[in-house]
Amino acid sequence: MVNGVNMGLNRRAFLKIVAAAGATGVAGGSGLLLREDTQRRRAAAEEYHLKPLPEITDTGLVRPPGALPGRKFRRNCSGCGACLNVCHTMGYDAIAMAGPRHGGDAATPYIKDMRDFPCTLCMECPDKCPTGALQPLDKPEVRMGMALIDLSLCFGWNGDVCLSCSKACPLGASVFDFNYGAWGNQPYINENCVGCGLCVRYCPLGGSAVKVVTPEIYTQLQEAYLQEVDNLLHISGEERYELVYGRNLPEIMARGRLVEREYR
Amino acid sequence: MLAIVALFMLQYFEIRLLVGSLSGSTLLGQLKLLDVFAFLEVSAAARGISLALLTAVLPVALLYLLLGRAFCGWVCPMDLLFSLVDKVRSPGTKPPRLPLKPQVGYWLAGGLLLTALLTSLPVFTNFFSHLTNLFRAIAGVVFMASDLPVEPAVIAWSLLALLALLLLQYFYPRLWCRVLCPVGKTYGLFNRASLLKLRFRQGDCEGCELCEQRCYMGVKLVRHLDQGKLRDPNCIYCGRCIEGCRHQANLIKMSFK
Repeated sequence: MVNGVNMGLNRRAFLKIVAAAGATGVAGGSGLLLREDTQRRRAAAEEYHLKPLPEITDTGLVRPPGALPGRKFRRNCSGCGACLNVCHTMGYDAIAMAGPRHGGDAATPYIKDMRDFPCTLCMECPDKCPTGALQPLDKPEVRMGMALIDLSLCFGWNGDVCLSCSKACPLGASVFDFNYGAWGNQPYINENCVGCGLCVRYCPLGGSAVKVVTPEIYTQLQEAYLQEVDNLLHISGEERYELVYGRNLPEIMARGRLVEREYR
Repeated sequence: MLAIVALFMLQYFEIRLLVGSLSGSTLLGQLKLLDVFAFLEVSAAARGISLALLTAVLPVALLYLLLGRAFCGWVCPMDLLFSLVDKVRSPGTKPPRLPLKPQVGYWLAGGLLLTALLTSLPVFTNFFSHLTNLFRAIAGVVFMASDLPVEPAVIAWSLLALLALLLLQYFYPRLWCRVLCPVGKTYGLFNRASLLKLRFRQGDCEGCELCEQRCYMGVKLVRHLDQGKLRDPNCIYCGRCIEGCRHQANLIKMSFK
């Protein structure tokens, strides 16, 4: 399992180069960094003249709802554990304390694994934070992060009608856009997303096709991601067919059997 | 002391009377409470005092303006743990002389605040505070037992920090409380203005010094006898001196007047 902050940064830097260079010839040189299936997918994508979907290994530290932006949160948080404990008493257990591998962010709260314990936006933790590091907000104003659907793994983008994520979303219609077409209702999460991760939890794909990244990391990924959405919607039907049945569906089937734990 | 820790423990049984830890918590779902030193440190780290911080620290500050450093004697769970350590150590051994001057604590507290200001991290409250670490360790163990996501390293750190304090207590009894603990030092400042104080009745002191022998905070009571009252920053209002004096002259009492 590829893990750790440095690793993630390397890969992000690498992906930027890939996006700029058109993803030719570089993938081989990075073989050490990449898992086998990722290499396979990337190779298949090159074949279809598509940029690979950024594989997100570093989601950043997704903070509890109402957190002050960026470093300001870290400055104000005393690590007292009020949010952690109230989340536990509510029975959600979404909040955990960051460990030493998060460096200076150790011993501060974050949403650890949205696939098992998503934030339900009960908004108890900002209500209980004694230092004001978490501020009470209305639910739609929360910006914990941004959910990104992996377009090569999502059922909706690969010829099926699933809608699990949009049904799970506490904000529903204001967050989800759909691209209706021959390939079904392809969901797209717009910038009203609060990053609670309920869609991550309820995605039926093994290991979830949705990942929540922090707003900071989203600004880095945004361009490549939107480019990918645009590409998929504009390639020919034949190419799309090859992509879905040749590359994506085998991957989806494999994922169904193998529930990975990449967040941990 | 046990009662207050027990109130906190109720949060693991889905009773939200007191949620959080002794460095920051919420009472009855409404009243936010923040330890005074935590307030100072977070303000230093954030480089500004926010309204949220003020509203949380105010009830605590008012309470201890009333009660002085009673936190240490009646609330702090380390007091309980330390007395357990004292029981383990053979009771006959005389506590060694303090290797540090009491002023060191103020320098330490000031240094920690400066560190918080420079690094923008509430370093002590976050990583080293016995209050935070104790509750984090309890929460960690409870969560681990119920198979919830935890970082084992955080729990290990908290337990190690607590163990270090207990070892310190074993070799240098009450060195932490009397000299080092910045939380206690901050509450000690409240002693100078608090309503609660030790008063001495008029009467014949026989000079038995039972009170001073009982006082594990090393407060020198007898030399304040003439003044009629005592406002020592190390007094935690535990009442042991009163107990000691009761056998002899019964001169000491706690008083709000």
